[in-house]
Amino acid sequence: MSAETKTEQQMQGLRNPPREVVLRVRRRERQDAEARWEEFAIPYRPNLNIISCLMEVRKNPVTRDGKKTTPPVWDMNCLEQVCGICTMVINGRVRQSCSALVDNLEPHKPITLEPMSKFPNVRDLVVDRSEMFDHLKRVKAWIEIDGSYDLGPGPRMTQDDVAERYAYSRCMTCGCCLEACPQYGDGNYIGPQAIAQVRYQNMHPSGKITRDDRLSAIMGDDGITNCGNAQNCVRACPMSIPLTKAIYEENRETVIYGLFGWLRK
Amino acid sequence: MAVRLSSTFVFRKLHQLTGIIPLGVFLLEHFYTNSKAMTGPADFNKAVGDLQSIPYIIFIEIGGIFVPLIYHAVYGLFITWEARPNNLAYPYPRNWFYTIQRLTGLILFFFIFFHVLNFRFGAIPWLNDRSVAHFPNEAFGIVSREFANPIIFVVYSVGILATVWHLANGLWLFLVDWGVVIGERAQRLTGYACIAFGLLLLAVGINAQVAFIRPGGLLGGILY
Repeated sequence: MSAETKTEQQMQGLRNPPREVVLRVRRRERQDAEARWEEFAIPYRPNLNIISCLMEVRKNPVTRDGKKTTPPVWDMNCLEQVCGICTMVINGRVRQSCSALVDNLEPHKPITLEPMSKFPNVRDLVVDRSEMFDHLKRVKAWIEIDGSYDLGPGPRMTQDDVAERYAYSRCMTCGCCLEACPQYGDGNYIGPQAIAQVRYQNMHPSGKITRDDRLSAIMGDDGITNCGNAQNCVRACPMSIPLTKAIYEENRETVIYGLFGWLRK
Repeated sequence: MAVRLSSTFVFRKLHQLTGIIPLGVFLLEHFYTNSKAMTGPADFNKAVGDLQSIPYIIFIEIGGIFVPLIYHAVYGLFITWEARPNNLAYPYPRNWFYTIQRLTGLILFFFIFFHVLNFRFGAIPWLNDRSVAHFPNEAFGIVSREFANPIIFVVYSVGILATVWHLANGLWLFLVDWGVVIGERAQRLTGYACIAFGLLLLAVGINAQVAFIRPGGLLGGILY
């Protein structure tokens, strides 16, 4: 199918569109409240995404069986899959709700929306993902460039390194990799998101200066060795970040500088 | 600047290492000795007797097999306990390998416990009360008598299959966990090599098992 005909088909919507779109939403009043399912039906129109569905529900928050309820709560911001805030579990798989198009989601069947399971559920589809930020602080995901004098221009890097670092720089801290990881949860594993940022900073010639701090941070009790090599992270990542490569590069660094570091003393 | 090592890091690295050295190496030796059964009871019994006559065998057995085995098994249970399998939502091959590695580990925990009590110590009275290691001259007879029972034979076939899977996939896991194989393409190629290694090991293992109930093994001695 050429790009032109595809666009035309997308404009017209599906060949046999459903009358309505059914949403099954996992809801929770407060962090400590019981979770429950609620079903909503909204009229179908072409090119709906999950966020426009939820906005439609919000206009008239009545469940499918006619019960009045509160509008479901969710997070959103950029609406173009670069901020990561609208991430949720859609039909059992984690992804951004802004780029989840109903026409691509089997719209004849009910669409299930759940909050991510690995983070504290604040309310409905909203989760608290601050632990990812805490992990970034722990691994010192930055480069020390402040000095009492002008440090001059940064060192040169090869184009290959620049390209690889650019890939890691695309992380938007959405949490897809952690949600899909069978090892992540309950604080027992720091996860691919933070490890990729360790790789990102350790590759930089100036970042290398504080390499050992970062290695120490990912060699703790919840460190890199808790990776189970299921490699779901790299498949779930919406930004196509080579997360597994980052983990295995850091495996090598922790073995060379951590495990065998004493051989050089 | 120095890198701080946590106990978890060291324990995990030891767990990964013991799976290959000494346990993986020992499995190769074990299959080698088993394969002696293909040329007849006398050759197998002699191989068992030779192993028992290795100098310092008691220390080799304890330090090279029992201690690493118990460590790998018990720490492996802890690792398995932490798993949150999600194969139905994310049905990728590597994710299945993740779950199967833990599943075969669980099978092996019970199988190897049974196998060691059964043949090394002869401590399962209703099945066998003679240690193969202590009676090398009866070794072949002890094993073939048990394998005549189809249930025991199937239990051992499942045990061999689980062991071979766990080692072949474990070899791949060791190579990536120690940062030897890093890139996607290299990991895919190494994966194929580990599958080939596993299939070869499975053929050798099952062939040796069959040799205890059918002279010469699967092919009936055509290879000799």
